[in-house]
This record gives sequence, structure tokens and C-alpha cells, in this order.
Amino acid sequence: WRSIGLDVSDGPGHSPPSPRQSVRKNLDFEPLSTTALILEDRPANLPAKPAEEAQKHRQQYEEMVAQAKKRELKEAQKRRKQLEDRCKLEESIGNAAQTWNQEILPNWSAMCTSRRVRELWWQGVPPSVRGKVWSLAVGNELNITHELFNICLARAREKWKSMPTAPPTEPETEDASLSLADREASLELIKLDISRTFPHLCIFQQGGPYYDMLHSILGAYTCYRPDVGYVQGMSFIAAVLILNLDTPDAFIAFANLLNKPCQMAFFRVDHSLMLKYFAAFEVFFEENLPKLFVHFKENNLTPDIYLIDWIFTLYSKSLPLDLACRVWDVFCRDGDEFLFRVALGILRLYEDVLTRMDFIHNAQFLTRLPDHISPDQLFSHIHAVHMTSKNRKWGQVLQALQERNSPVLKR
Amino acid sequence: MAYAYLFKYIIIGDTGVGKSCLLLQFTDKRFQPVHDLTIGVEFGARMITIDGKQIKLQIWDTAGQESFRSITRSYYRGAAGALLVYDITRRDTFNHLTTWLEDARQHSNSNMVIMLIGNKSDLESRREVKKEEGEAFAREHGLIFMETSAKTASNVEEAFINTAKEIYEKIQEGVFDINNEANGIKIGPQHATTNSTLSGSQGGQQAGGGCC
Repeated sequence: WRSIGLDVSDGPGHSPPSPRQSVRKNLDFEPLSTTALILEDRPANLPAKPAEEAQKHRQQYEEMVAQAKKRELKEAQKRRKQLEDRCKLEESIGNAAQTWNQEILPNWSAMCTSRRVRELWWQGVPPSVRGKVWSLAVGNELNITHELFNICLARAREKWKSMPTAPPTEPETEDASLSLADREASLELIKLDISRTFPHLCIFQQGGPYYDMLHSILGAYTCYRPDVGYVQGMSFIAAVLILNLDTPDAFIAFANLLNKPCQMAFFRVDHSLMLKYFAAFEVFFEENLPKLFVHFKENNLTPDIYLIDWIFTLYSKSLPLDLACRVWDVFCRDGDEFLFRVALGILRLYEDVLTRMDFIHNAQFLTRLPDHISPDQLFSHIHAVHMTSKNRKWGQVLQALQERNSPVLKR
Repeated sequence: MAYAYLFKYIIIGDTGVGKSCLLLQFTDKRFQPVHDLTIGVEFGARMITIDGKQIKLQIWDTAGQESFRSITRSYYRGAAGALLVYDITRRDTFNHLTTWLEDARQHSNSNMVIMLIGNKSDLESRREVKKEEGEAFAREHGLIFMETSAKTASNVEEAFINTAKEIYEKIQEGVFDINNEANGIKIGPQHATTNSTLSGSQGGQQAGGGCC
């Protein structure tokens, strides 16, 4: 027998067989499609097969065809199941989006604390309503209006204009105006950093569709809060907001997010206050994962080593983006406590690996987490983290540490 | 893998001068034209051989923005070597060297070996800092100096390895107390068995292969 062209079942317009498929062909595997197999007698110039042999071959042929059919059926069933699952998932996202849009968002203040909404929230906010939910949950304590954003943006543009342009090609720029150097350096830095924000997405870089928006938000913020200015890490937060909100609303959410106590402590790089957050984190670390806690202590692996990146970028740099957005969902609801809970969830998820590695491997692992992390797995570990220590909640532990005067945290 | 010594390095310098790219070139032998921003600190490690001995380099790659100085300062502790990097195409990164150096000297142990690096030497047409200026600065402050290109890999190996050689020489001269981990040097498992006899003659080498 021989197999005729493998693409019999594929109509025109199907993609050409992948190299892997052609390897299969060469290996003389039975083709997957039963239509591709034909039983033939020996060519006329050769003596005919004895009846017995012919019978045996026919039997083998039929078995093969039957098996191939069975396999095809199984494949088809699997495909159908996959499709069903995807449809189910899409449907559930669609349903959830509908619930959010029609029931929850219109009755926000009444419903946002209800148990049902909280449960739905934990499962991840559908991308189509994510921006709205984040905006509502973060709020606008600062009462920033679109007008204010435009004023800040105009001021930033004014500054950019007065700045010498395109420094890389003109070697003289830096010396000229040292008095303005600092502020300009900050604006210059924004430009440099935008190109280094999610570079693999290729949308924030110069010439990309979101370059101007990111530039605008960061520039406007330096005019809105010159006392804070631009600090590295902000570009990631602004970028994630831009992906979910239009520019003025992204700015409002951005400024209000950064205004939260934890974010202010970090972005003003108030070192002693940051140490209090780390110390509070360690209280819950020891409580939840005592074995790993001791292992880290023995290896001098202090929490700042991994927490700084995680907290400054709200996990957007360290976790896959869709997973980071799910973290943001609950962070917008629960506040800074959740950021530290996620950190414990990550440590819990990888506890076995981390307990076996030394300082450098752990430090490398935690500052560069695996590319693929199962969202469900991570969230079930986050869920399992208990945020009480000796009957005290996160806020109480943190406050107690803040009230104690001198921070005693040695590296 | 067994090693004779472990040296801790720290890479410092203004943001965007190519610290992470130098590290990536050294550890992975590749160049990423657009590297992710470093927030806080990242890490690299590689084994090198000096004088027939395996030396493990543990490299701390720090964030460069001024605001992060108060954080990165604590990372000098226990570093045996520092790579102080500027960008030859941006004069301001060269002008800031003095403050970096002050910071480094103040927060590290006095024996820390500092290598001054003028990076991006492949961008000759955009050069703003002459090689002679780098050399003069290094001479004045007692640093080793090299111009490198993380892109073409030019001098990258040499920068990391020459720093290690200098540290190694200091150990041989007895300048570094290798039993004090605050100096950024750890004796590896390869050495551990002979550690007790280290001060005396090394004649009775047992396990550990061809070291010493």
C-alpha cells in the first residue's frame, strides 16, 4: 500500500503542513486520515500475492483503518472539548462582563462590598470593564479633573519645548544649561525609560501607538507633583493604566494610586518607611512560611531584594501581564496589604524550589520569575496566605512598627 | 559547582549607561538593544578561572536613578569589587562619577577594587568623553580603567576578569582578610577542607583537585 498526499483532507486555504508533519510523513507513520490510505495489489510486473498473504494484508489494512478512525474520532472529540471549554470561558467572561456592566457598575456603592461581587472580583475583572472598575475602586480623592490634567500636560509640553532637542546627535547639549539640569534630566530620563518599558510589546517605544500617551502621563505628573517627580517604576504603572483607560482617566487613576501611603513611601524613596513595610512583610512571612523564612535568613536574602521591584511596578514587570492585571484587580480593591499577600503567595507557590537553592539562585529566581505561571495556581496560593499574626491584621502590624521609633533592620 | 573563592561585585553608575547590558554580555554572551529597566537590583553569576583556580563571581546589578541611591547604598556592603560605569556618549554620566565614587568609598570596605568603565565604545561617532579623560580620572582616583562595548563585547570579559585578578592579587598579598565575609570574599567548598591549614604551608593538599 501507499499513502497518497497527506493534505487530502485539508482543503485549499489550509496552512501548509508544518515541518514536524513532514517529518512524520518521512518516518512512514500511518497517515492520520483514513482517506489517505489505499490497499493495492502488487504491480502487474510482479507475481501476485498468495491468497493467504493477501488475506492477511487485507486484515492488517482493515485493522489500521479502524484504528486510525478511532484515533480520528478521539482527536475530534478532544478538539470539540477544547472548543467547548473555550466557548464556556468566553461565555463566562461575557456573562461576567454583562453582570459588571448591567448590575454592578450602575449600583457601584451599594454593591461593591457585597459577597457576590467580591467573589466575582477575585476571579478577575473582565478586560472590557477592567478600566472602569479600577477607576471606581481607586477613586479620585485628589479631585483631579480632565482640565487639571490638560493644564499639567500643557506645562510639561512647555518644558519639553524649551529643552534642547535630540541630544544623541548633538554632543554639546549637556554643558549648556546646568542650572536646569536636574529637572531636564528627569524629563530626559522619562524619554529614556519609556523605551525600556515593556520593550517586548513594542507599543510604548518611540513611534509606537502608546508612546505619546505614556510620555504625556509621566510628564504631566512631574508638573502635578514636582516634589515627587519622575521615579523609575512609574512608567510601568502608567503603561498598564493606559492599556485599560483613556489618557485623562489613566492620569487620574495614576495620580490617585501613587498617592496611597505605601506607594508614596516607595516613590519618595522614604527608606526608613520602606523598611517598616519590609519588616511588616517579614512578620507575615515568618507566620506563613516559617521554614522558608529561616532559610532566607540563613542566606542573608532580605526582602528588599525582591520586594522593591515587585512593589515599585505593582508586579507589572515581574509577572506576565494578564496575571499582573489580575493582581491589580484585587489590589485596587484591597490596597497595599494585597501586594504583600501576593508576594507571600509567590513564595508559597515556589516554596519547595526556593528552600533548596542558595542565595544567588534564589535572588536570581525572584528577580526574574518564570515566564509561565498558572494564574489559578498562584491565586490559590495567595488565597491560602493568612494575613493575621497573633490576632493582628496587616494594618495593625504596620502601624505598630511605624510607632516604634528607630527602625532596626540590618542587612 | 565547586569553586575556590566567591567574589561579590556591584555594578554602579548613572541610569542608562549599560550596566545590565554589560552583565548580560558577560554572563550570557548576548546583547539586548533594548533592555528592561532595572528597578532595585538584579543578579548575575559566572565562574571564571584565575591562576588555575575557579572563582565564582556573584554580581549585583543596581538601579542607576539618583532616587534609588539610598537603597543601593546598602548593597555595597560586602562587595569585593565594583564596576563604576559611565556612557562615553553622555558627558553628564561622566560628570557624576565623583559622587558615585564618594558614595562607593563611604559605604564599602576600603579594600574594594573599583574598575572604571567607559561603556558604548562602539558609538565612536557620538562620543562625548575622550578616552584620555577616563584614563586621567582613573589615575587621579586610583582606579583601573577600561573602555568597553556591551554591544560588540569588546573588553567586557577583560573588565570583569581584570577586576577579579586585582582582588586575587590583594588576597595573595594578604590585604584582604578572606575569613571576614564583610570583604566580599567567601572561600568555596573546594577550599573548605584545607581551610584550617591555609595559613601554614599548603603542601598537604588532599581533596579538591588541582587548586592551590
